[in-house]
Amino acid sequence: MGQTWRYRGKRFAIALCALACALAILVPTTAFGLTTNKATARPNEDGGSSVIGGLPTRLTWEGTVGTGEKVTSVTLMLPEGGSFDGSTTKVTVLEGLSRAKLDGEVKVEGTSLIVAFSEPATEGLLLRLEVENMHFPPDGGDVAIKGSYVNQSGEQELEESKPIKTIANTPLQALLASLDANPVVEAWNSSPFLGMFFKPQLLVTAFATLIPGWLLCLAIVCIAYPFAIILGLIFALMKISRRRLIRAIAIVYVNVLRGTPLFLQIYIMFFGLPMMNINIDNNVLGVIVIAINASAYLAEIFRAGIESIPPGQYEAASSLGMSHMMTMVNIILPQTIRRVIPTVTSDFITSYKDTSLLSSVGVMELMMFAKNLTSVSGNMTPYVAAAIFYLIVTLPLIKGVTIIEKRMARSERGGGPRPKVKAKSADAAAGGQDEMGTEPSLIEALSAPFRPASTDIAGMGGVADVQ
Amino acid sequence: MFNKANALRGSGAEAHRVPPALDATEAALQAHERDKILTKHHFAPEEHPCVRIEHLMKTFDGETQVLTDVNLTVWPGEVVCVLGPSGSGKSTMLRCINLLETPTAGHILIEDHEITGHLPTKEVNKLRQNLGMVFQSFNLFPHLTAKGNVMIGQTKVLKKSKEEAEAEALKQLEAVGLLDRADFKPAQLSGGQQQRVAIARAVAMHPDILLFDEPTSALDPELVRGVLDVMRDLAENGGMTMIVVTHEMGFAREVADRVVFMEGGVVVEQGKPDDVFDRPQNERTAQFLGSIG
Ligand SMILES: Nc1ncnc2c1ncn2[C@@H]1O[C@H](COP(=O)(O)OP(=O)(O)O)[C@@H](O)[C@H]1O
Ligand SMILES: [Mg+2]
Repeated sequence: MGQTWRYRGKRFAIALCALACALAILVPTTAFGLTTNKATARPNEDGGSSVIGGLPTRLTWEGTVGTGEKVTSVTLMLPEGGSFDGSTTKVTVLEGLSRAKLDGEVKVEGTSLIVAFSEPATEGLLLRLEVENMHFPPDGGDVAIKGSYVNQSGEQELEESKPIKTIANTPLQALLASLDANPVVEAWNSSPFLGMFFKPQLLVTAFATLIPGWLLCLAIVCIAYPFAIILGLIFALMKISRRRLIRAIAIVYVNVLRGTPLFLQIYIMFFGLPMMNINIDNNVLGVIVIAINASAYLAEIFRAGIESIPPGQYEAASSLGMSHMMTMVNIILPQTIRRVIPTVTSDFITSYKDTSLLSSVGVMELMMFAKNLTSVSGNMTPYVAAAIFYLIVTLPLIKGVTIIEKRMARSERGGGPRPKVKAKSADAAAGGQDEMGTEPSLIEALSAPFRPASTDIAGMGGVADVQ
Repeated sequence: MFNKANALRGSGAEAHRVPPALDATEAALQAHERDKILTKHHFAPEEHPCVRIEHLMKTFDGETQVLTDVNLTVWPGEVVCVLGPSGSGKSTMLRCINLLETPTAGHILIEDHEITGHLPTKEVNKLRQNLGMVFQSFNLFPHLTAKGNVMIGQTKVLKKSKEEAEAEALKQLEAVGLLDRADFKPAQLSGGQQQRVAIARAVAMHPDILLFDEPTSALDPELVRGVLDVMRDLAENGGMTMIVVTHEMGFAREVADRVVFMEGGVVVEQGKPDDVFDRPQNERTAQFLGSIG
């Protein structure tokens, strides 16, 4: 399909040429000795329509000889950095629609290309120069073809062409060009499966193109998640509240959000709010929807976590004289957090993947970019690239969950490394003084399972923390 | 060795009409007279009871009557061991004293202060500071080290500074012989060590009364000794008022000032350890002691 697209481009170029020829014939010739009709370049971007500097392309230049003129040679000039070196030029002289018997001898000198005609080109002749394998300046930018010609009265300045838009030759473009030229890649792409799903050139292009979408996905979920955690915690506490009304509110919130598809929630928010004349930036709204949706799931996770703490913990805290609030903050929640970390991480993975649904309402996230690139290139490879972008984040997290679960199971059995036993009681009383603090802060509690095993236990008891 | 509870024992309906708690001074004098022969405790003149339980009744779900009519007075510095078959309501009685369970009827007075009836949460928390509790299943906070477990009540409830709390924690851990395990997590300690940390945690709050609910029942036999030694030390050298629900007859006989035998939600018999163990007056007590010993 990529091929087809290229052909289409070619066909379009031919049609343009034909149109230009027709115009050249119909429009009365101007006072100039040699009029520049057009200067175009063939796109040389893989899967794109741009002209990249520094890479071989074809320049087509056409000019018409004016009334009473006898043009003996034409010189085309490229700006600094461009080059005609190594190019081959096809010279075509047309008289009306038929070829004129006129030859041109081509000489190349760096940025200039000189065509000397075997006999002077006379009035009304169309000169067409097709320069294959020439290079535009690698920096990109608008390039106007300048030059000169020689007529019966000497050397004349050539009318400047309309600028040709070129883009810079980035390392990426260079890489694509080298892939294009690579026979192995060509063989790879000739396999229908590999070429359709794993086309190297498109993979490279997609990686470059999808990054903004990937970053937006990450940003949306990373900003949404802390809010989701706070909301989830609030609703979890509401769900176990002693007041029926508060419990009812939380139950409705959680069940409605869990019982309807996220897709529907996205539609309601993205199309419903503007109808009420509430206009929020798409990305912000994306964050809000994801946060609200995740909070319902987190509320359930937290509630289950809190309820999994044995009643003995409440009783022990109560018999120390702790209030309900103190017990929650110092005893129950720190334990809950540890217990729910694997489940919360799994939910984070889900939320991260769920951002893909936002593409349906025009948020420029990963899927959106992949979809666009696929519809331009007609190839599935951008979707594969998107899959890789999702996996970059999810696979390590999945692995992390497994490790944490194993470690928690081990420490629950009393395994894992132990802190050093203090040598003598007298030393210990003195030596113990520098290790202040015993309750881990919330952050410590959160990070504990991620820390290397050797510091896990020592860190909990030893590190000074702020109350 | 007359058992008053038996005389007062009645049906559930009657138990609801509980006479009000007696005037503190009068009650003290009466209980004084009554308990003199029941305990090895040496009464001081004008002494007031630490815990006074009168006609305590507890029903769960409005039907299962667990405590029928419990009467018990505990004096400052006294060590009371509560014996009885499983399901006789020993734990429930202990938990009522701590207000972990709300009594259905009757009175509990801690230092002449009525705790039954609707007490504001703040007062309940205040009361609990004076009552240390040691559980059968330890109930240590698994996310904290041994030291952290002993410190947290001091810093959060008593609002002590970290330094003070830590010094106290290390002192109490040393007293239970676990100073070298101060930085260990509960999961890394044996059951016996965990229970000793739990005792240190309770003692560090400097409560007036310590309640033990079968503190050695969940332990392997070889670990029981260490915990009992710690408790004996508290009783003999610490002068702590203790109510100990236990099946350790040896401990009860040696350490207790008074042994209380409970069955079916009432105190069936109580008295000096040697009296109860060697000359049980009640048939059920004899049966129970026979089956145990
Ligand atoms: N929360 C409760 N709800 C219902 N029944 C209970 C509850 N707690 C205890 N019980 C019942 O009360 C009875 C006495 O329990 P407990 O005080 O634990 O006895 P003990 O400690 O002497 O073995 C048991 O039959 C038990 O099933
Ligand atoms: Mg019990």
